[in-house]
Formats: sequence, C-alpha cells, structure tokens
Amino acid sequence: MIRFIFKGLLRDRQRSLLPVLVVSTGVFLTVLMTGWLTGIFKDMIDVNADFTTGHVRVMTQAYAQNETQLPNDLAILGADDLTAELEKQYPEMEWVNRIRFGGLLDIPDSLGETRAQGQAVGIAVDLLNPQSKESERMNILRSIVQGKMPDNKGEALISEDFAVRFKVQVGDKVTLFGNTMNGAMMFSNFIVAGTVRFGVAMLDRGAVIIDLSDARNILDMQDASGEILGFSHAGYYDDEQAALIKSSFNETFTKADDEFSPVMLRLRDQNGLDEYLKLADSMSFIMILVFVIAMSIVLWNTGLLGGLRRYTEYGIRLALGEEKSHIYSTTMMEAVLIGIMGSIVGTVFGLALCGYLQTYGIDFGRVLDNSSMMMPQKFRAYITPRLFYIGFIPGTLAMVLGNALAGFAIYKRKTARLFKELEV
Amino acid sequence: MVSIKPIRDLIIIVNQRTEIMKRIFLILIGILIALTMNAQDAKAILQKVDDNMSSRNRVFESTMTIHGKRSSRTITSRSYAEGEKQSFTEYLSPARDQGTKMLKLKDQLWIYSPASDRTIQISGHLLRQSVMGSDLSYEDMMEDRKLTDVYGVKIVGVETIEGRKTTILELIAVLDDVAYYKRKMWIDAERFIPLKEELYAKGGQLLKRTTLTDVKQLQGRWFPTTIVYKDMLKEGKGTEFKITGIKFDQELPAYIFTKAALKK
Amino acid sequence: MIAFKLAFRNLLGAGLRTWLIVAVLSFAYVVILFYNGMLSGWDRQGRRDTKEWEIGQGQLWHSAYDKYDLFSIQDAHGPVVGEAKKFTDKGKLTPVLIVQATAYPQGRMQGVLLKGINPDQQILKFPSSMLHQDGQEINALIGKRMALTTRLNKGDKVLIRWRDKDGTFDALEVKIADVFNCNVPAVDNGQIWIDLNTLQKMMDLPGEATLLVSGTDEINENVGPWIYKDTEFLLAELNQIIHAKKGGSMVMQAMLLIIALLAIFDTQILSIFRRQKEIGTYIALGMTRAQVVGIFTVEGATHSILATILGALYGIPLFLWLGIKGITFGVDDMGITMAETIYPYYSIGLIITTTLFVILSATIMSYLPARRISRMKPTDALKGKIQ
Repeated sequence: MIRFIFKGLLRDRQRSLLPVLVVSTGVFLTVLMTGWLTGIFKDMIDVNADFTTGHVRVMTQAYAQNETQLPNDLAILGADDLTAELEKQYPEMEWVNRIRFGGLLDIPDSLGETRAQGQAVGIAVDLLNPQSKESERMNILRSIVQGKMPDNKGEALISEDFAVRFKVQVGDKVTLFGNTMNGAMMFSNFIVAGTVRFGVAMLDRGAVIIDLSDARNILDMQDASGEILGFSHAGYYDDEQAALIKSSFNETFTKADDEFSPVMLRLRDQNGLDEYLKLADSMSFIMILVFVIAMSIVLWNTGLLGGLRRYTEYGIRLALGEEKSHIYSTTMMEAVLIGIMGSIVGTVFGLALCGYLQTYGIDFGRVLDNSSMMMPQKFRAYITPRLFYIGFIPGTLAMVLGNALAGFAIYKRKTARLFKELEV
Repeated sequence: MVSIKPIRDLIIIVNQRTEIMKRIFLILIGILIALTMNAQDAKAILQKVDDNMSSRNRVFESTMTIHGKRSSRTITSRSYAEGEKQSFTEYLSPARDQGTKMLKLKDQLWIYSPASDRTIQISGHLLRQSVMGSDLSYEDMMEDRKLTDVYGVKIVGVETIEGRKTTILELIAVLDDVAYYKRKMWIDAERFIPLKEELYAKGGQLLKRTTLTDVKQLQGRWFPTTIVYKDMLKEGKGTEFKITGIKFDQELPAYIFTKAALKK
Repeated sequence: MIAFKLAFRNLLGAGLRTWLIVAVLSFAYVVILFYNGMLSGWDRQGRRDTKEWEIGQGQLWHSAYDKYDLFSIQDAHGPVVGEAKKFTDKGKLTPVLIVQATAYPQGRMQGVLLKGINPDQQILKFPSSMLHQDGQEINALIGKRMALTTRLNKGDKVLIRWRDKDGTFDALEVKIADVFNCNVPAVDNGQIWIDLNTLQKMMDLPGEATLLVSGTDEINENVGPWIYKDTEFLLAELNQIIHAKKGGSMVMQAMLLIIALLAIFDTQILSIFRRQKEIGTYIALGMTRAQVVGIFTVEGATHSILATILGALYGIPLFLWLGIKGITFGVDDMGITMAETIYPYYSIGLIITTTLFVILSATIMSYLPARRISRMKPTDALKGKIQ
C-alpha cells in the first residue's frame, strides 16, 4: 500500500514536488534558524570558553583563588600525568594545557640594549603540534594582521597595537622578561613571527602568544601547567556533561586540606556566566518554539492547499466507489510520506548549511565595517543533537495536521451531488 | 566586731599612690634621659653605625633564601660594591640563574642574562617589583643615600635584644622622595651595628621588618651576617639573606662597574 | 480603491487561512520590532548609565593618561588650574584623581585603583555624598562587583597601601561606607572610591587630577593641557557590542520574515490556482491583465496591512507592559555595561521602517506569483481549466 502511494507521489509531480519543496524549505529554515540561534546565544560563551574558561577548567585550588594575578607559582605540578588521567577517564572531552603569565616585552636596539619596554600578557598554548586545535579555537590564524603563525620553537606572535606602538617588525628579535614559576628571573628571546589583533582590548594592548613547550622551558614549568582546559568533542557546552565530569573529578582529586590539589570548575561556575547561560537557554527555547509554531502554520497551509487542489480527484475517486475513510487514510499516508521526505531533505540541507556556518561563520565585522570589535565578529551556527529532530516537528506534524483538516472536506461530500460538481 | 575593711581600703589606696608616684618618677627620668641624649647623640650613633657598616669597597658572597608559598629557593651570588653608589652582582647558583649579572650605577640598574645575551634596563615602575620573588624590591636595593642625609634622628628608648643592649633610634624623613617615611632602628649600644629595623608608612603602619643576627667580627669590625626581610603586610616567612664570606677594602678592577662587564 | 475593497472582502471571506497567515506575519513583525526595541533599549540605557556613572558629557584627560595602561597612571596627573579650574568651580567639571594602590582584604593582597572624587559633585550619579568624612575614619565606596571579589561588605574596614607622589609608602585603613549598585563595570571592577581632597592629601598632590568629567555640552575641545574625549570615543566599546548584536540578530529577523512571506507566497499560488474562473471573469468584464495582477497583488499585500493591525492590537499592550516592567536579565559582571533590567525602546523611525519593510516585502512576494495571471488565456481561465 505504502509502495503504491509512494509510486503515485513520484509519478504525479503535482502531488509531490511542490509540497515536498515547501516542507523541505520550511524544515530547512527551521533547522538553520535553530542552529543559528544556538550559535548566536553561544557566541558570548564561546569567547569566554575559548579564551579563558574552557567547558571545564582544572586549576589548583590556590591558583583558582588568586586567578587574576596569574599565580604560576601555584600551578598544577605533574600536569602531564593529570592530563593523561583526564584523557583516560573523560574521553568525551579534549584536554589542553595552557599557561598564562605576565611580564615585560623588551625591544632591543642595534646594540642589544633596551630601546622600548611594554607590559605583556603572555598566553602559551599548543601551537606547534599539528593535531592541536588551539590556534583554531582561539581564532589565531584569522587574527593575524602581519606575518604568519609560528612554526618553530622560539617564535612568538605579538599584539599588532604593541608592534605599531614600539615599531616592531615581523622577524625582529624581542625579549620576554619576567619571573619563572619559582620566582627566578626569566629572560627569553623570541622572533616575532607575526602580529595579531583579537578585538579584545586587554589582549590587544600587549598579548604575546608562544608555544606551550617554549613557555614551559622559559618559565621553568616542565610538567607543570597553570590551567588544564576541557573542551567537549561535541563542540558546544553541555552543562549536564560538564556537571557530571566536574563532580566525579572533584570527588577523586580535590582534597580539602591540600590547597595545591586540583579543582575543576564548569564554564557555568566562572566569569558570572551562570546567569547568561540561563538567559540564553530560555531565550533560545522561546525563539525556537515560536519558530516551530510559525513554520507549522505555513506547512499547515500547504496541507490545506494540497487538499483543495485535489478536490476534483477525490470527487472522481468517490464516484468510482472508493470509501471516504479509505481516501482519507491514503491522503494521510501521503501526507506522512511527504512530511518525512520533506523533513529529511530539509534537515539534510539545513544541517549542511549549519555545518558550513559552524566552520566558517559569517563575518559581520566586515559587513559592519568595524575594525576594532570587542568580540569576535564572526557569527556561527551550531549543530546540536536537537537539530536532527527539530525540523521533523513542523515538517511532519504540520503537514499531517494540515492534510487532516483539509481532508475532512471529503466527508462533507455528497455522492448525489458529485456529478454536478464534476460537471461531467 | 570591728570591721577591718576601711583599714584594708586605706592600705590599698596608699599602695596605689606610691605606685603612681613611682610611675611619675620614672616618666620624669625618661624625659630627662631623652633631653640629655639629644638629637646630636642620635646622629652620632647613626654616624658610628655608618662608619662601622660601610667601607671603601667590599666583596661578599651570599645566599638568599626565598620562602615561597609552596617551596623555598636559595640563590647564591657574589657581589662587588663600592660605596653605596656602585655595585655589581653575579649569580652563581641555581643553574638557571647562573651567570645572570646585575649592575647598579647611581640610579640606574641593568640586568644581563647569558641565556638571552641581553642587557635589560630596569626602570620606572619595574623598580618597584620584587627581586626574584623575594620580600625586597629592586628599589629597596637601589637606595644609596646615607641615612643621615635623608632622615632626622632621635633616640626613643632602650631595649635588650637577645642579651644585647640596644638603643632605639627613630628616623623621620627630612626629604620628600623616600620610600619609607619613618624607620625604627635597634642599635647595639656597644658594637654600633643595627640588630633590628622596622619600616613604617607615613600614617604609622608597620610595613617591613628586618632582623639582623649572627654578628661576627670580620677584619676587625662587627658585622651581622644573617638578615631576614619580612614584608609585614604579606603572608609568608620572609626572605633570608646570609653572608657567607666578606672582604673589605679590596683592590677592585675599575671595569667591573661598567656595562661591558655584564657581558664578560 | 476597488482593488482594496475587493482584497479585504476576499481575504475576510477566506476565513481561517487568512488569519493564520496574518498571525504569522504579525508575529514576525512584532518580534522584529521587539528585538530591535530591546537592543536600542539596551543601547540607550547603556549610554545613559555610562554617561551618568562614568563619562558625563565627555571627559578631559591628562595627556599621559591611558585607560588600558596601568603604568601610565603613576605620572598621569596635573593641577586643575586656569580655564579648567573655572569650569570646575562652576560645577561644570568634576575632577577625578586616580592612583594605583594595594588593598589587603582579610590579609590577601590585591591591586586596586584608588579614585578620588568630590563628595559634593553633581555630575555623576555616583553616591559620592557618602564619602563625606565623619571624624577620623576615611569613608570609601565600592561597587557590587568589587564587593564580591574582595568579599568586603558595608561597614568593613580594609587596609590600603599606596605611595605618594614622591614614592613614599603610606598605609591606612578605610571604612566601606556603602556598596553601590550600578551597571557600569568601568567604575566598579577593582576600584575603591574616596574623597578627592583626602586622596590629594594622601598623595601630596593638592588640587591635582587625572581626568575631569564634564557635566556640560559647552566643553567640546581641549581645555588648556587637558585633552578632550567626546562621549562617542568613550562609548566606543558599547557601540561596538550593540552593532555586533544587531548583526547577529539580522539573520534571525530575516529568517522569521522569510517564513511569513513564504506563507503569503504559498497562499497567492493557491488563490490564483483556485480562482481561475474569477480571473477569467475579470478579464471578460474588460479589465486589463495588469489590473487583475494588481487586484491579486493588493490582496496578498493586504495580509501585511492586516498583520500590522493585528500586531498593533496585541503588540502595543505587550510593548507597553514590557516598557513599564522591563525585561530582567540578571546578567552581571560580563565586563559590559548592561542593565539588569532592560526597558525596550521603540523609536518612531524603527516602527515606520519596520512596517514599510514588512508591507513592501509582502507586496513583492504577492506580486511574484500573480505575474502568472498575465500569461493566462482568458478563455481557458473562464472555463476553469488548469493551466
């Protein structure tokens, strides 16, 4: 029976093509909109997650308390073992080590004496490992104004504003000056591989980005890390997952009497993001709900259209002696098939575009012609599990509902008047 | 029965009065002492301390132990100093700091690091940073004016520290550009060396305390060889500075106080 | 005119379907208005709060002052004399002295900015009158964010250490006279406010300031050595965020509108399809094809007029209610000036452009399918033959 209806649908393009097109367009838009909205509401969170908080973050308890001072003397020791342990126990997240440090950037003159000095905000991430996603995560490549990504040890990226202010060229040698983890003096030369501008005022003043291994060397932090960040492989922040990992980790590793024992914080626990998350959740829920309803109305309309279009056909079928209930049920089945087909097509295209937007984003910085944005100007869609089914709600349900309502007209038909109506 | 209470009360009153008299007497004597030991004497004491502590030049090896929150670190160094204006320090250990050199000429400070082969000038706000995580700032090391030039001195009391009689001097700044408005120094009354020093904020808040111990006689003069610096507002155990060897009035090559010496 | 009458009659005759489309379109219309209203509400409040609490009608900076360079603060102060003094005496400028200091709340060490302001100033909304000294104690004000990070409460005392202009250390306990609640993190994070006179005495910088906050629009250029920074310069960060948010919401609004327009497009196709006899009749009665296309276009576009009316019916009370009650976000401490409760603001311009945009796009969407009419053969149309 289904096969018969399916064949009918395929052969009669009037019956299939337009409804499927409408349903898939609607579903496509629903999926895209949901993904986009999720993306927009997460953008603020992402900036925080990518630059500071991670989806979860591990620090020593003492470090966590004095975090604003970047107290690397309180860093996690045995970071490699801890990272391995985290990878083993919580493989659903990617674990990365980072070191943030303060210091001075000293620019030498031709004789090697101090020509200029400026405050530096050091960020050490895994840049050189080709498997590392860190440079992508922090949007480093796209933030480069001059030069290129460091591809050797001893190379650094410095802030464009700093470079302009102190007339530093790509390829120049600069010296980073500060304290090691143990408080000893630290001097280290770096070749400027490129300059960056993130659009975040604090970083653009004096960011220095170096590879993690370099930082460990110069800061005397072998096997130590200021912070270990966890990023969900799914690519988005899942609060339940983070909460589970957090409580399990803290139960095992955090000791009340040892301020150097590690403690894990969720993104939600940090930077006052809790309220924002609550807001984002409820806002995106309301928006998506409203959108699904709107889409349902449109598809319902399509269902009605389908029913009305085939008024004559139903008349003939009735005249030929087909049961009203049979006509109704086949119509419903058709609607279900069209709904599913349209939903699949729409979801596939919607996901594809979301996937594209997730990877590449839309750069509104250019559209708005604003060179020094506070936040990254890229807006991205996000693919969440919800996207895989959300389109089916308006797609199938509305289609079926529309047809079901339109189909009632069949029962109102009187056989006696059929021939007059059909003008045969 | 005759109550003895009034009598007892009377005795108590009399006792109290004698106590009060005693106190007044002591206070009067104190004032008298203070008056006789005038500022001139205080200045003389400080001058003697200066004479005792300073020399034409000195070469010394020292260890500095910095107590961090987590661990302690000991740094050894060899220093050459001429008067108060010029000094040159070379760090000997640990390995990471070995070869790092610091040169101070008047109010300028340079640090040379062999690893980066760079000479970096420490200036401005950087001078206020702590030296290698210790309780000392670069600026603390830079102070090279004579105390008698900067402070007005008076004697404020006597005290016994670890069996040594000391005179307590109070120094109040007479110039504006000093880090510490008020200092209190406990000077060994016989040997004329400081045994304790406290640094105060303008408003009277105690900021830093230095205790000097292990006084030894070296080349005919008394010298404290262990100095503990403690930032009183900061938690922690402070920084311990030990002189392991010191020689006064040596023949020093002139080049040692030049920037060229840093790279040698 | 006849087209409009016909359109209304036809639409109302279509019953439920018309109202569904109108509902969807009105919804898109209301959401677009609401979202933009919310953003401009945020923008207006952000600007107002920033002006009221931080920047006034502009600021005059000491030439060495750099907001982002802490080390610049040490040397960024100068005497308020001459023209600047005259303005200050008239209450049109209020000087602020900024000093780096260290606070020791509960024995912990924390770098802070000590800011001195005249307790009697009227330019900023800041509760500076709390800074009036009662006796020996120095009263200080901190913001709620600072209170949270330092764990200091009203009535607590905290030790502050600073260095005066000559570098002499000084330290003192101040009493937190009050914790103020404001939406501008720039006057809150890491800052302790005290009386300007006291701070000038503490620093031995009588009559000096780091910047002057203007309370008048008379000042719009440098005054003596003081460099004028206009409100646009000082509000740049907020403007950028609002711009960014608008960018992100544009796509959402466009999609919402597309959904609604899709419904109109869909209905137009349906009508033309079902009403061929009617079309044929019009032409037979002597109407030109263009006129018939016009009738159908107007009919489709009328959806949007009905939508704006419906939107107004529930939108106006809703907006009024939200305008009074505000939307509470409770978002805090994101480093951005954002009120906890945002009162959406709908400008006439916004309402007119949004309405015109909705009607125009609905008209275009109605016209596109209606063009098919001009390709119809009137005779076939009259018969109702599907073409």
